[in-house]
Amino acid sequence: MPILRPATFIRKLRRCAQWLFVIVLLSLTMATTSVDQSPEYQVKAVFLFNFVQFVEWPTTAFPDKESPLVISVLGKDPFGNYLDETVKGEKTNGHPVIVTRFQKPEDVKPCHILFINISKEDQLTQTLELLKGKHILTVSDTRTFNRRGGMIQFVTSENKVRFQVNLEATKNANLVISSKLLRLAEVVTN
Amino acid sequence: MRSSDYRTWILLWIILIVVHRVDAQEISGDNPSILKHLSMEELMNVEVTSVSKRPEKLLEVASAIQVITQEDIYRSGATCLPEALRLAPNLQVAQLSSQHWIIGARGFNAAFANKLLVMIDGRTVYSPLFAGVFWDAQQVLLEDVERIEVISGPGGTLWGANAVNGVINIITKTAEESQGFYASIAAGSMMRTYGAIRYGGKINSKLHYRIFTRFVDRDNTLTTTGEDNPDNWGVAQTGFSVGWNPSQVSTFSFQGNVYSGIEKTLPDDSHIDGQNILAKWNYTFSEKSEMSLQFYFDRTWRKDIPSTISDELKTYDMEFQHRTALGRNHRLLWGLGYRLMDDKTINATPIIGLVPRDRVMDLFSVFLQDEIRLLDQLRLTLGSKVQHNEFSGLEVQPSVRLVSTLKKNTLWAAVSRAIRAPSRIDVDYYLPTYELPDDVPHVAGGPNFDSEKVISYELGYRVQPTKNLSFSIATFYSCYDDLYSVEARPGTQVYEIQNGVKGTSRGFEFFATAQMLEGWRLRGGYTYFYKELEPKPGRIADPASLGNDPEHQVIIQSMANLSKSFQLDATLRYVDKRPVPYISDYITADARIAWITKHWEVAVVGQNLFKDKHIEYLATIPRSAYLKITCRF
Repeated sequence: MPILRPATFIRKLRRCAQWLFVIVLLSLTMATTSVDQSPEYQVKAVFLFNFVQFVEWPTTAFPDKESPLVISVLGKDPFGNYLDETVKGEKTNGHPVIVTRFQKPEDVKPCHILFINISKEDQLTQTLELLKGKHILTVSDTRTFNRRGGMIQFVTSENKVRFQVNLEATKNANLVISSKLLRLAEVVTN
Repeated sequence: MRSSDYRTWILLWIILIVVHRVDAQEISGDNPSILKHLSMEELMNVEVTSVSKRPEKLLEVASAIQVITQEDIYRSGATCLPEALRLAPNLQVAQLSSQHWIIGARGFNAAFANKLLVMIDGRTVYSPLFAGVFWDAQQVLLEDVERIEVISGPGGTLWGANAVNGVINIITKTAEESQGFYASIAAGSMMRTYGAIRYGGKINSKLHYRIFTRFVDRDNTLTTTGEDNPDNWGVAQTGFSVGWNPSQVSTFSFQGNVYSGIEKTLPDDSHIDGQNILAKWNYTFSEKSEMSLQFYFDRTWRKDIPSTISDELKTYDMEFQHRTALGRNHRLLWGLGYRLMDDKTINATPIIGLVPRDRVMDLFSVFLQDEIRLLDQLRLTLGSKVQHNEFSGLEVQPSVRLVSTLKKNTLWAAVSRAIRAPSRIDVDYYLPTYELPDDVPHVAGGPNFDSEKVISYELGYRVQPTKNLSFSIATFYSCYDDLYSVEARPGTQVYEIQNGVKGTSRGFEFFATAQMLEGWRLRGGYTYFYKELEPKPGRIADPASLGNDPEHQVIIQSMANLSKSFQLDATLRYVDKRPVPYISDYITADARIAWITKHWEVAVVGQNLFKDKHIEYLATIPRSAYLKITCRF
């Protein structure tokens, strides 16, 4: 059986090892450009930011041409730095996008998108009651969100983020949702 | 290696680190920006990972870890643990005889391969009698091994003494994961007969169990002239495992094993038997904090004719661990442990033996590790284990690790200190066992033997460029001190076991796995190792017997599904020559062909196929084959 002589084999092995090293370096470039895995809340932060382009608020929601577009978080903040990083330096139609946070439903000041992270069911119902009539797009991960009148509910299915929209709730808040967004969502009716 | 080679390696590492950090700059600012540039449809296709409380993903571990999966073991045709361990490129495995194997990482493989800590489901199988592992007594049912984690490099901080060059963790499936009926029989030339049955069932949705029994009868190896070596043997093991999950936050596992074997040796047969039982409780306080408490009792008995020493060892071990997050930037892991080892030996002749015959040894340990998040992708882990052992007293094993984790690649660096605690074969070894005057040559134990020490500097890189391809490399430079030597007390002929040798070692470990096509996977690696040992200043000791190690080692494993019911697998391995005593290099292969249906499998496996016989360390290993029929319901 023709087997390589050990001495030649070793020399070839050494060359091989050095080439492997170079291949590994090159594979770095492949590593940087593909994005097929990301932390859940980093993706959701980008979704919140993207929703801005598909929602029309009534003119009263913006006191003037340069007033900020506010994305707020109510309850325990699951985004860490992600939401702040995502909106940093961004402007939509001249409105700078900023992030604010609230702990209790009574503290909520006027904002445009409110991500609600309250686990207690009764507190959630109370919160949505308080927000009725205001022009705030409510978003959450909670399983019963749409059923209780929340507008957009994130659902993770097969490790990918999807969302459901309660159209009636958005109509009650005088928000117009673009059909482009509705096409991607699963529309839920009460 | 020539110095020009060193310069090339250092240059390549510098380039790697620079590119990794430049990469980091680009990514850390841009991660959300890459996502922001995706369309809504593309964003909905991104796979998300949630922050889990399970141990870190393999990609982020700051050590040279390689994993052998259940599939790798099953497809390789391995018939016992040592054969399964060959599949880790960072381990050196050599079959000494039919009954004995020496397994080590990063060199120092010798008749007493004592620098590797081995555990099965958290129970240490490293013997404090001779500071090594008796592989013939570890008869795990390979079908129920979930995975084997092989960490090369000092693992003293987390795992304790004797993890100088590495740690092997053999993890079996939980009772819940090994349900149903499994039976297998095999017959062959080296593995003469083999049979195993396992049944896993459940009492209710929270209480699962499995019981198994396994026996194997193995043929002898050969001498260099082709005669039979008297080393055939057989062993049977039976065991159970119970898993109980009464709630989301609490899990219990309880397992036990009993084994017994007879080994042909001259002038008489040797015997081994053992019993062990282990109980573990895991409790999760919250997403950030969990604890575990474990007890085990392990009795091993060996009547070893060739060495003329019989030994019964009873080990009682208790261990507690707690993992918790402190604020946003600290993850603490700490633990306490106590082990009692009750060892009794019988010296068959006064020519050689252990004195005193019986010894009770205590081991106390405490450890603490803090993983600090310095920046988003940069973590610093500081930790130390402090142990008090019977022979060398208080020992400290600290380590510092730095990990930089990007989305697909990880760069890590570590400096650690680890020790190998003295064992009975160092301290209590007498030749002969009765007293002799100072001017008559004899060996009188190692009353002043201290622990062997290593300080290791490591650097590693891991990348997974696509879902189907991953690489990892690790390099190390280790400084050893106080290594074993046998030297005469000045002015006398009384030889004692002392710590007269020091040295350094360096090397490189490469591992890759690739899913080449949908039904074809390749995995393998290359390891380079080089060491230089010398007596400490003023001492006369011969370091040659401390390890007879090859410089190069390659293994490649291929697993191909030729069709839904036909598998063709092969493993190729090359081990370089060993210097003193000289053993030539060898290249050999194993192959497996299997026909699979839903419940049945028939496999034909050939082992050591290239030459009809070869030597790995001592005995001559012949080419062999076996036929195996398995059913699973």
